[in-house]
Amino acid sequence: MEQTDGTIVRADLVAALAAIPGSAPVEERGAGLWISAPRLDVEAMAREMKALGCRLVTMTGLACDDGETTIIYHYALHHDTINFKTATSGNAIRSIALLVRPASWSEREIHDFFATDFIGHPNLVPLIRPPELKDGFFRDPDPGSITPDKP
Amino acid sequence: MPYTIPIGPFHPALEEPYKVNVKCVAETVQQVSVDVGFSFRGIELMAQRREWVPDVTLIERVCGICSNVHAMTFCHAAEQIAGIEVPARARYIRTVISELERLHSHLLWAGLAAEFMGFQTLFMEVFTLREQVMDLLETISGNRVNYGMNRIGGVNRDIMDPKSAIDTVQAMAKVIEKDVVPAFMNNITAKGRMGGVGPLTKEHAIEWAVVGPVARASGLAIDVRDDHPYLAYQELGFKIVTQPEGDVRARVVVRALELLESIRLITEALNNLPSGPLRAFEGMPAIPPGEAVVLTEAPRGEVVYYVASDGGRTPARVKIRTPSFVNIPALEAMTMGQQLGNISLIQASVDPCLSCTDR
Repeated sequence: MEQTDGTIVRADLVAALAAIPGSAPVEERGAGLWISAPRLDVEAMAREMKALGCRLVTMTGLACDDGETTIIYHYALHHDTINFKTATSGNAIRSIALLVRPASWSEREIHDFFATDFIGHPNLVPLIRPPELKDGFFRDPDPGSITPDKP
Repeated sequence: MPYTIPIGPFHPALEEPYKVNVKCVAETVQQVSVDVGFSFRGIELMAQRREWVPDVTLIERVCGICSNVHAMTFCHAAEQIAGIEVPARARYIRTVISELERLHSHLLWAGLAAEFMGFQTLFMEVFTLREQVMDLLETISGNRVNYGMNRIGGVNRDIMDPKSAIDTVQAMAKVIEKDVVPAFMNNITAKGRMGGVGPLTKEHAIEWAVVGPVARASGLAIDVRDDHPYLAYQELGFKIVTQPEGDVRARVVVRALELLESIRLITEALNNLPSGPLRAFEGMPAIPPGEAVVLTEAPRGEVVYYVASDGGRTPARVKIRTPSFVNIPALEAMTMGQQLGNISLIQASVDPCLSCTDR
């Protein structure tokens, strides 16, 4: 699977990504690989990506009109970027923070912005949300209008 | 008996607010937790409510030190979605400004590191050099901090006098080679104060997913300029600087040596500045529906932008991940078992940017 310089053959990488439970066909787009998999097993993904030597770069949240959140897991491996796009159910999804350290702050940030529940996160407290705003304020059409409660 | 000291959010060494809760037994650190979010500005949310052109100006304000890389990365993302090819001259000018920004940032940090060590003469020497970089940036762009060089499709200004810029950076290179690098690498005070302090092993660097000089000082050869080449880096050639030790001294040495690589890149880019237009078009085309993930190397490490467009006048989503967002949590690993008195120096060695982290 590995080449002499330690990198993974692209075809083997694509096959490994597609074999993750709940995964989907891998699409090459822009400068990276994209997998749109609404039913992705994110814990299995985290374990497999770790085994492949991939680094979790960050996670992006996107608000959906139905109250759900699209979550994108962005990974890097040598010269590739790999992006898994999945969806919450009841605005909740399993946490990968105990499997991948940098996921902890990313999940807390998405919780701040979109009120997404990361099930199993060891410390899902606000990271950068100001105390006068509520979790999920990125969904608010006018979050700037919220003023702190008067004592 | 264990005790906890809250350091911050108003910090004795840093101008920006963040809080480190340090749990100690005697003088030895047992546990550290970090609180951020004291200067949240909601830039991502604002960017999704402004049009593409004013967004470039807004996003340049994510950071006061690495302002250019944010504006440039946002422009890259928009250009990737719209399939816009940036002219060669603009790519080279963006490279020069990016490396000048790295010089500015690394020199600022080196000066502060010298001051934290009590090495005042080195602080003065380094800040004199930093002033020369800022003068050069002002000569090129008209600005000392937010340069306003980037626009979607190219750059706003030309470099009118490349030869003078080369002379300036070459004069700086002599001082850096003769005084700054040896001071950080060989001076007995610097070695004694920083050697073995705040270690982060290569395994921990991978586990915490640190980036930039912090990762490279732990022996990880990662740099976006090499891993995912952009601008003119592939044409100019690029050499990654790494150190194996993973301590504060290694972080200093990596940055000091990167100063010289930045000067080489600036000189090469200016010597080979292509002719041609500064921008792909006048005005602003519509950005079609699409999404892009763009990685660039800021002075503190990898910057990541996810930008989505629904074809409207504003971006549908702008997600910004700055290097400090992943480097700051690793303080937990660097400070474990260290002396309480070294906490400030270890924090500083990460070069944390709270403006970036909080956005």
